[in-house]
Order: sequence, then C-alpha cells, then structure tokens
Amino acid sequence: MYDFLVNLVGNNIVAFFIAAALPLFLFILPYALLAVLAERKVSAHMQDRLGPMRTGYHGILQTVADILKLIQKEDLRASSTDKSLFNFAPYLVFMGSFAAFAVLPFSSFFIGSSIDVGLFYFLAISSLVVAGILMGGWSSNNKYSLLGAMRSVSQIISYEIPTAVVVLTMVMITGSLNLHTISDQQTAFFWNWNILGGTLPGIAKFLLIPLMLGAFIIIFISTLAEVNRTPFDIPEAESELVAGFFTEYSGMRFAMFFLAEYANMLAVSFLITILFFGGYHSPLGYLGNTLGVEWLVPIEQFFWFASKGLIFVLIQMWLRWTLPRLRVDQLMTVCWKYLIPYSIAILLLVGLVTLI
Amino acid sequence: MELYDIIFYLFAAITIGSAIVVVNSKNIVHAAFSLLLTFFGVSGIYVLLGADFIAVVQIMVYVGGILILLLFGVMLTNRITNVDIRSGSIQVIPAIIGLAIFTAILFWTMTSTNWKSEKFELPTTTAFQIGDILLSEYVLIFELLGILLLIALIGAASIARRDKE
Amino acid sequence: MKQYFKNTFDALYTVLVGMRITFKHLFVPSVTIQYPEVKPQMPERARNRLFVNMDDCIGCDQCSRACPVNCITIETVKATPDDSPGETSQGKKKALWVTKFDIDIAKCCFCSLCVYPCPTECINMTKVYEFSEFERDNLIYNFATLTMDEVTDKQKKFEEFTAQKEAEKLAAAKAKAEKAKQDAAKKDDKPESKPE
Ligand code: SF4
Ligand code: SF4
Repeated sequence: MYDFLVNLVGNNIVAFFIAAALPLFLFILPYALLAVLAERKVSAHMQDRLGPMRTGYHGILQTVADILKLIQKEDLRASSTDKSLFNFAPYLVFMGSFAAFAVLPFSSFFIGSSIDVGLFYFLAISSLVVAGILMGGWSSNNKYSLLGAMRSVSQIISYEIPTAVVVLTMVMITGSLNLHTISDQQTAFFWNWNILGGTLPGIAKFLLIPLMLGAFIIIFISTLAEVNRTPFDIPEAESELVAGFFTEYSGMRFAMFFLAEYANMLAVSFLITILFFGGYHSPLGYLGNTLGVEWLVPIEQFFWFASKGLIFVLIQMWLRWTLPRLRVDQLMTVCWKYLIPYSIAILLLVGLVTLI
Repeated sequence: MELYDIIFYLFAAITIGSAIVVVNSKNIVHAAFSLLLTFFGVSGIYVLLGADFIAVVQIMVYVGGILILLLFGVMLTNRITNVDIRSGSIQVIPAIIGLAIFTAILFWTMTSTNWKSEKFELPTTTAFQIGDILLSEYVLIFELLGILLLIALIGAASIARRDKE
Repeated sequence: MKQYFKNTFDALYTVLVGMRITFKHLFVPSVTIQYPEVKPQMPERARNRLFVNMDDCIGCDQCSRACPVNCITIETVKATPDDSPGETSQGKKKALWVTKFDIDIAKCCFCSLCVYPCPTECINMTKVYEFSEFERDNLIYNFATLTMDEVTDKQKKFEEFTAQKEAEKLAAAKAKAEKAKQDAAKKDDKPESKPE
C-alpha cells in the first residue's frame, strides 16, 4: 500500500501521511456516521419504535446533521477544570482508538503497517485510551466524571487480563504476533478459520473447536467490557453518572469521545474477526480468482473484512439493547471469577491439544 | 532530512519536552500525565532503533500499567476533587550543576570513543529472538521472575482480603 | 463447583434467551405514529380546544362562573325590545347581547367544568389539539360575534332605552306625583269645602 502510494505521489513523506490518513477518512469516519445511525435504528426497532425518520429517507442523514450541529456548538469549558488536560484528553482517547487501526490488515493489499508485534501493539495502544479517560475524568473536576473515569479504568484494566490470555492462546496456535500472518493462515475456506480449529492437522482440529468457541465467547465479552458498552457501561451509566467521564464535554470534543467509542467497537470487532474468523479471507473463495481478474481480489477481501467486522458491531448493539447494566461487584465477579479462570483453563488445554 | 530523521527528532522533542514538564510541573497530576508522553516518546525511539518488542512492552507496561497505577495512587490519596495537588522543585542550582557535569561526561565519552560504524541492516522483528533467548538461555531467570510475580500477586490478594479478620 | 458451572451455563443461556426476544422485536411492526403526517385518533370524549356556538349562547355567564381558573370573560348588554337578539336553536328567547366572550385558552386546564352548566349546550370541547401559537395574546379566543360598532350601537341603544325608560319612569312618577298632588288638593279642597 505504502509503496504503491510512493509510486503514485512520488514523495515518500507525502505518501506516508496519505497512508496514515487514508483508513481514517476512507473507512472509519463513514463507518462512525453509519454506526451511530445503525445504533439508533437497531435500538428503535428492537423497542418497536422507528428511530430517526425525518432527515433524509428514513433518517439516513441524521448523523450528518448531528455532526454539523456538534461542530457549530460552542466549546464549553467549566471554569474550575484543569484546562490543558481537559483540552488534551479527547485527542488522546481519539488517538488511542484510531492508532489501533494501523496494524489491522483490511485486505492483503491495504494494511497500514504489517509489523511483527501487531497483536501486542493493538493491546498496548489501547492503554492510551485508558490514560485519556482518566485524564478527561480527572480534569473535569466533577464528581461524576471522576467516578466514571475511575470505574472505567478499573474495568478496562481488569478485562484486559482475559483478553490478553485469549490472545495468548491464539498466539500459541498461530505462532505469530503479526496480524497479517494470522489472517493468511486462515485462507481458503471457512473450515480453516480458527474458530473451526484452524489448519491444525488431524484430531487436534476437532478437539480445538469447543475450546475455540469458549475462547471466542470470552474475548467477545471482555472486549465488549473494554469498549465500555452495555451491559458493561457502568463508567458512563446514564442513570447514575450522567455521562461518566465525558459529562463536562460539549461540542466537538464530545463528538470525539463519541467517535472514539464507535471506532473502538469496530477495532475490537476486527480483532475478533482476525483471530477467529479468518480476517479478510472469504469463506467461499474469491470471484476474482475464478474469473481471473486479479485486482478484484483485494476489493473482495476488503468487503469480507468489513462485513465480518460490522456483523460483530451489530451483535454488540444487539447485546446493548438486550441486557441491563451490571452492578460493579457483578462486573468484577464476571471478570475475575469466571472469565479469567476459564481463559486460563482454555490456555492450558489448547497448549495440550497443540502438542498432539 | 529523511523521513526517519524527522520522526526521530519529533520523538526526541516529545521525550525531552515532556520530561522537563515532569520535573518542573507544580501539579503532580500534570507531571504524571507528562510522564505518559515521555514513555511514549521513548517507545517511539525504541521503534526507530528496531526494537519493536521493547517499544510495545514500554507502552503496555509503563503507560497501561504503571502510569495508571501511579495516577490512581495520586488521585486516591490526595483530596481527589481538588485540583490543587502541588509539588515543588527544590535545589534547582545543584541539580543544574550535576546535570551539566553528567552531560559533559556523556559528551566526552561520545566524542572520544572510537565508535565502530558499519552498514547494518536493522532487524525487522525482535519478538522471535527474544522469545527464543528467554526460553533457552535465560529460562531459569525467567521462571524465577515468574514465581516472584506470582508471589507478589498472591500477597496482594491476601492483603486485599484481610479486612474480614 | 457444580453451582459454578451452572452459573456459567445460566448466564450464557439467559443472554441467548434475551437476545432471541429482542431479535423477534426487530420485526414487530413499530407502534410509532408519524405525527404530523399521521394524526392520532382521539378518543370519544377527548377534551381539547373549547368551542362556543354563539348562535345559541344566551350570555347567562354560568360557564364563566364554573371555570376554576377564571379564563372565560363574558360581558353582556341587555337587549331592547325593538332589537331582539333572536332565539336559540331550541327556541329559547335570548334577552342579552353578548358583547364580549373571551376564553384565554392558555389558562384553560381542559377540565370541562364549563361545559356542564351551560343551559343551551353551546359551549363544548372539540377534538382540535393543535393550536400552539408564537404569541401568547393569540391564545385569547374571542367568540363574540358583534363588531365594535355594533357593540357601541347596542350599548347606546340600551342606554337610550334605559334613559327613555327612566324618563318615562320619571314622567310617570311626576305624573303620579302630580296626580297625587291634585288628588291631595282635591282632598284638601273637599274638607275645606265641607265647612263651606
Ligand atoms: S375547560 Fe375548565 S378551565 Fe377551561 S374554560 Fe372550561 S371550566 Fe375553564
Ligand atoms: S353557559 Fe352557555 S349560554 Fe351561558 S354564557 Fe356560557 S356559553 Fe353562553
């Protein structure tokens, strides 16, 4: 991708910036616009309502209008906030969630950076979000913000453990930290996906299937908690904390937190897709290969990657409008007493299976 | 100026600038958050040196773990809703003198050493080698560290449970 | 230990049950009414904007007195015999010109208490509920049908009529007094004349 851009632009610095900004403008911003609308529509229909209907046909321009409204809004700042931290926090959160996309292989052609510690980088860079949340919550100088930030951080840190253990399990199977390599191992058809035992030979593949299913459920739950979505949304629990750590924010800064939340949802969905569902690989083979049109393959791959990721985002929304919020103690119980023991057990069992 | 140089100076500036803020800031929380940028800049420089694994560990452990813990400590031990958490810097002049001497020694070493310079391809990845070495050559130390951390974990858990006497 | 696995199973199972329910509701037709395009059907005895059929109003002021928030203001002028306001649709004879019939619908609490006492059933609640205004003054509804000129005209007529009546009365009184005087004079005369 980068080389292609260097050839196109003729200057590697410009190409560098284009390569960095392209996923953002090409994919993530349109996605965020769509996802906010989808969230409202899905929630509305699940509650037998209609959702936004006025702006455009069935309200499809609603988020565009909302964004325009947010841009126009005054950037309010309460007088007793810590000015510099307050201003910087949304950017940090935004940065943390968007930096994660740098290592995701959107297709075999379109990948920000195919570094060899991609998976590890993905987990590490998310911690910038934690720092940003804490920064925003503390600098707002508001009890709700601070409580929300504290809850959020303790929750994210706790749920990072099962995520990391499951990721470790997957690293054990695939033998790589590079997301590109992990995706490419699950090529060809859907029975090569890791959720169906990957490309392990013989009986091991079938022994792996239930373990992988468990691992998938664990990582889905824990990443859901990491992005602070219902049923794990105690950090922004509307009924208790107004809006949690971004209570004091308004206008564009608020929009940034909002955007970061949706970008995070997508990022973890993509991570799950890559780890368990074959990344950008099609489940049924490629049209481009059968027709002999080579440039079609990356586009198809992008399509499969995006649709797999979006399906998980939709499931996250579905869960949000199904389940009530957990209490703080229940949240910690789920993590420490259930997810972590299960994930460690799965790690050990997978280790045994891979030895066969 | 190559792209590499630009990025290097960017990270160096971030590291040094935020380190100065850490030292000089009167507000502990500001200092702690500047420390975040310092870690971040250092990890950027690690990446430029080809130590990608260390760089990521730097972010994960220091930013994701230690810094957050530090902030929690600061926020929970002080009056948390009050922004006035202050720390002073004392003995500025001795510090400057010490720093000057240290810089002079460093500079002298840098210029007087006969550095071997040869064209050397930076390794694209270090994770495999690190893993290899950890589990072969240094396996005993690795295991001991693991046990140490486990002991610390168990200790922390038992301290946390103590309230039920 | 058994409880532990049962908890795990229950958690996953109940989540799936919940998800099935919400998924079903995804395809249930929504209950939302697209308001300005589709108007909701008002129930039979919905209480909304008031309407006064001035043809039937006899200006008895009972509605105004029943109103708990005093939002009805009625002023009337008695009709003169030569200029009758006519009859109500039930054939009741009107005796008053209603010169002012204002309902401040902004104050109205839609209690419907003004409807019941009306003897001619001319004030009632309609099904119109969209009557918001930008100016609060526009919410004071004037139901009186007479124009200003007519009102002054009626007032003048009434005054003339009363003046005339007064004059007649005065005249009558005068005449009476005169008569009485004359009578008295006669009476006086008689006894005076008796001794004659
Ligand atoms: S409905 Fe009630 S408040 Fe309204 S005018 Fe009649 S009596 Fe008064
Ligand atoms: S009670 Fe009926 S008739 Fe009497 S003044 Fe009111 S509206 Fe007119």
